[in-house]
Amino acid sequence: MNSYTVEPSALIKASINGQAVTAEANETILSCARRHQIHIPTLCEMQDIDHAPGTCRVCLVEIHMPGREQPQTVTSCNTPVHDGMEIQTRTPRIREMQRLQVELLLADHNQDCATCVRHGNCELQDVCQFVGLQSNRFFDPVRVASRKVDRTSPALIRDMTKCIRCQRCVALCRDGQGVDALVITGTGQDTAVGLHYGPSQKDSTCVTCGQCVLVCPTGALGARDETDAALDMLYDPEIITVFQFAPAVRVGFGEEFGMPPGSNVEGEIISALRQMGADIVLDTNFAADVVIMEESTELLRHLSANRRPTFTSCCPAWINFAERHYPDILPLLSSTKSPQQCLGKIAKTYLPERMGLDPARIRVISIMPCTAKKDERVRGQLAENGVPEVDLVLTTREFARLLKRQGINLATLEKSTFDNPYMTNYSGAGAIFGTTGGVMEAAVRTMYKTVTGKELDQMELTQLRGFEGIRSATVQVGDLEVKVAMCHGLKSAREIVEAVRAGTVDFDFIEIMACPGGCVDGGGTLRSKKAYRPFAAKRRETMFAIDRNAKIRQSHNNPQVKALYENFLEHPYSEKAHHLLHTYYTDRHINMVRTVKEIWNEITMSTMVY
Amino acid sequence: MQGEHWEPAGNGLGTMKENTMARLYYGVWNGLVLDNRGRSAASDPFSEFERFGDFNEGNPIRAFFGDLGFLVFDPKVSLVDAFWRYLDEAAKQSCGRCTPCRMGTVLVRDSLDRLRKGMVPQLDFEGIRALAQQMTETSLCGLGQTCAKALLGALDHFRDRLEAEVATLRVPEQNGMTYMTAPCIQACPSKINVPRYIDYIRDGKPEHSLGVILQKYPMAATCGRVCVRFCEMACRRNLVDQAVSIKTLKRYVADHQKGKRELRFNEDLIAHPLPEDMRVAVVGAGPAGVSCAYHLLLRGYHVDILEAGGTAGGMAAIGIPAYRLPKDVLKSETDIITALGGRFLFKQALGREYSVDDLFQRGYKAVFLALGCQQGTRLGVKDEDPTLAGYEAGIGFLLKVHDHIAGIKITRLSGEVVVVGGGNVAMDCVRSALRMGAEKVHLVYRRTREDMPADEEEIKAAEEEGAIFHFLSNPAAVKSEDGRVIGLELVKMRSTDADAQGRRNVQAIPGTEHFMPCTTLIAAIGQQVQSGVIQSGDGVTMNRWNCVDAQPINLMTSRPGVFAGGDCASGPSTLIHAMANGLQAARSIDDWIQLGQVRFSPRVRMRRILNEHKMLNSDCVDIPVKLEYRVHHPELDPEVRKYMFEEVERTISPEEAYHEAKRCMRCYRIYSVITEHPIPEGAS
Repeated sequence: MNSYTVEPSALIKASINGQAVTAEANETILSCARRHQIHIPTLCEMQDIDHAPGTCRVCLVEIHMPGREQPQTVTSCNTPVHDGMEIQTRTPRIREMQRLQVELLLADHNQDCATCVRHGNCELQDVCQFVGLQSNRFFDPVRVASRKVDRTSPALIRDMTKCIRCQRCVALCRDGQGVDALVITGTGQDTAVGLHYGPSQKDSTCVTCGQCVLVCPTGALGARDETDAALDMLYDPEIITVFQFAPAVRVGFGEEFGMPPGSNVEGEIISALRQMGADIVLDTNFAADVVIMEESTELLRHLSANRRPTFTSCCPAWINFAERHYPDILPLLSSTKSPQQCLGKIAKTYLPERMGLDPARIRVISIMPCTAKKDERVRGQLAENGVPEVDLVLTTREFARLLKRQGINLATLEKSTFDNPYMTNYSGAGAIFGTTGGVMEAAVRTMYKTVTGKELDQMELTQLRGFEGIRSATVQVGDLEVKVAMCHGLKSAREIVEAVRAGTVDFDFIEIMACPGGCVDGGGTLRSKKAYRPFAAKRRETMFAIDRNAKIRQSHNNPQVKALYENFLEHPYSEKAHHLLHTYYTDRHINMVRTVKEIWNEITMSTMVY
Repeated sequence: MQGEHWEPAGNGLGTMKENTMARLYYGVWNGLVLDNRGRSAASDPFSEFERFGDFNEGNPIRAFFGDLGFLVFDPKVSLVDAFWRYLDEAAKQSCGRCTPCRMGTVLVRDSLDRLRKGMVPQLDFEGIRALAQQMTETSLCGLGQTCAKALLGALDHFRDRLEAEVATLRVPEQNGMTYMTAPCIQACPSKINVPRYIDYIRDGKPEHSLGVILQKYPMAATCGRVCVRFCEMACRRNLVDQAVSIKTLKRYVADHQKGKRELRFNEDLIAHPLPEDMRVAVVGAGPAGVSCAYHLLLRGYHVDILEAGGTAGGMAAIGIPAYRLPKDVLKSETDIITALGGRFLFKQALGREYSVDDLFQRGYKAVFLALGCQQGTRLGVKDEDPTLAGYEAGIGFLLKVHDHIAGIKITRLSGEVVVVGGGNVAMDCVRSALRMGAEKVHLVYRRTREDMPADEEEIKAAEEEGAIFHFLSNPAAVKSEDGRVIGLELVKMRSTDADAQGRRNVQAIPGTEHFMPCTTLIAAIGQQVQSGVIQSGDGVTMNRWNCVDAQPINLMTSRPGVFAGGDCASGPSTLIHAMANGLQAARSIDDWIQLGQVRFSPRVRMRRILNEHKMLNSDCVDIPVKLEYRVHHPELDPEVRKYMFEEVERTISPEEAYHEAKRCMRCYRIYSVITEHPIPEGAS
């Protein structure tokens, strides 16, 4: 298909700052320099997502082509190395031009850095330092004031006063996730990131997966900061604070405090929460086990009724995606609520009953690797008589901020253990919920028991593990052959949904996680500068190790889960369970039909004929 | 072909020097500093300069600004004001993606504005220079890279002049206009803003991309399939690797906005509907007629399209086979006319059912003749008789193909078929004949493969599908028996030496006559206007090529109120030319009805100046650019497709479209003139 192929030729020889270097055909100067450990400042470029739009123009270098009298100034990110090219990265002139470029970038950039969530962790600040910025002549607050901030979404804030037009978010949303909610809007000074369809972030095709946040170099994209609301609750003597944290939080949090990536900091988190004054600390992993009880029962019922396939429902960005983009498949979604919501619901019903507490005083605060959980929390169908199941969601990032605001350094804390006897135990199955394939593996372990009455011999279902966007397998559950598929990333989800609708695939059970890799790299996890999901493998390894080392590895063997059913819910899918732990979905698709008149009114910089 | 032509440009300076040096006062062009200041006016033969003379009648051009520099012809021209105008346009047109252009254009413009008003600027000339340099050297696209070049020239070589100007309190306001274009825009007969619609794809908004195209003509999906792509020939990406696949991108956006993403046309699109009596008749429902009707409807007129045949689309419907342009695609686009309130009146042939007089009597205020060229030109060889069974004219044959696919009348071929000609119509005949049962299909062309005017893709596709090509072969006689074609006498040709223009001719090689048997002979060497359509009483004169005589640009015929465009005025030409004519005719008709005359068009004049002086030269790309492959349509296997009339090429995927869109280098250029008097407003 590619008509243009680069001739594989002998290596190209060139020099950078006098040092001889070799490059492959069509290799950029930037890539070549990096291989030779020569640093060139970059801003819009992001290697991990193959993104080099060439918009910031900071990565300037000087090149001298053989046979040319004058040197030229080029951007290293999209200029290929040519044979005999002499490249200079640090001449006074290049440094001056880089400085001027960054100064121009700051002309309409909101420079209230002290109030910015990226303060100290900002790629733009880094670049300012690297180029040795000394003046800021062009900054004009009037320009900043004319740029827009969209605060409509419960989950995400899009603050264009801090956007540097790198387009990483657009690339990720469109090419990475296949959601295509973000577009570039406006021209000239008005250039910004906007929404493809819908009037605001809240009412758009955005599903709040938050992957865009992970690639934003500045504070332009972020989750709504609710750390103050957490403090309000913590310091209100009338309120009983009930904290929960998701399976993936404990494996993706330590690095914020200088601990090695992939450290399991479950114990430190419990200590930190106690130190902050949390009244009750629970584990979302417990609720994951409950979800497996409900969902596997639901699936077996669907199978016996020949209702196929069933999609998992624990991922709120996936639920948003289905409601916004494919409302016709909503009947195929499992009705089981997500672990976060199940925990919230049980913590406001069963827990106060057991502990003799006033449910009205309870506030459930979740710590999640996820931005969409903030969106999920406010869903109308997840509240009863105006009482939400979960009162506050903090992303992993906000939790880190909260600890810092409280003067707590996680790395210096002793590990603690859970002490609540009702909702803290978890099986290995619940622990792996945070990675792609984990929900499926957990469900199969329990389904096997339900169908055959025996435990699965080979607990670790390696055929379900892996990193491809879509994986499928046929699992023998007694006499039952269950055809399963696991998808992570919404691009893969779109692919499989299209295939299901077209009838070209045949599955019983499909697990979907909106974020590539699953929750361990969710949109609410810690940000990395100039890297996308750098710790995916480490976090996953730790998560599987938790399972491997768990005494109990099946949800149905979790004693607290057994107690919950014995003492409260009766059995999975009971009427009570159905009332408390199941939900429904609604068609919330966004109209994509536009008229030519509307489009013409929006077109700029073209010869407007009418 | 009417209107302007894209001419591949040379260096630009050559012609400029010859014609401008004499009258030039001072300037900088392509690095060359030109300074005639201080010479006595008497000894300077200023008056001899012709081409940069008047912009419009009685309105001399005082100065010219472009991507390579500026030229001042009048000592009193204010450079500060002129550069402010130029940079103001640049700031307005800056797409805002890259840093230096987004901020640089604004900062420089604002400082120039304060300077011309006698106020203290944020940047002095040195500061302006630093930004101008930054924009020129580090901008992402052609606009930023070129919009400060002229200013840099002035700052470096005529700083004294600039400083003298700002020393006076206030510089005078000047007249003139600015114009932004690009090689691809300039090459397109319809002057579509190609980089803009590619930008919109890159931005993630294919519907806006389609919107840009729809501003010029309604048949986007059609054009995206069959356009001959003057834009791609002019594309500067050719100098790096291969042209941007502009046509493919156009088709992508048109096809993408279907189904649940369809862009709706409705009558509220018409901002100012005109009274009932503002009626215009368009004769012919081909691309020119449809395009003219579309633009007249959008201007509020009530338009009837009178069509001799039974379907809309003209040559696009009958002349382009379904495997290249599916009928439903075309129909969805001609239906736009109905959605806008226009009417198609079918089976209404001019010269048979009515005359031009009749149309005016029916109350139409103006008439647009878009009659097409549907009569095949004969081979002009011995024993040629169009009434012979098995003799077909190219267009006539494609009409049969059309009816065959539409199920109106089935045509089956057998035996061997010979097609004579080398253009796209010949290729269409070859590929259609293969699909209609011919055992073998031969193409006979008198020149070489390289000389064939057909699109390379078409030639390749025909080869792949098994057509047998006979180059340097020409028919000498038609052979028949009992009123049936049985074959051709062919003669071999050879190329002569190149003539002064570098074009080789061909001549027959005596004694090489040979016989080629066939059951069907298709003569596809050209067409002309159907005889009998225009009659002497219509008051519309024809030219010596038997086409309607219409003035270039405004398309007026010899009869007031009657305009003509498309193939019937230009001879067989392209879809895009026809559609460009349609828009031009709509502008002329609107002017003529509202004002009684067709107005001067400043933008057309500007384009003429650029063409005459060979601006927009694309001789080199200065900086190394990373190579990226050009996208291609996924195609059906030749062995499968040669038996079917379904569309051979498929739409590209969104990922491919984004990749392709990123290849565009946005070679925008801004040009500006300063004139003595205000430039009159032209038709929109």
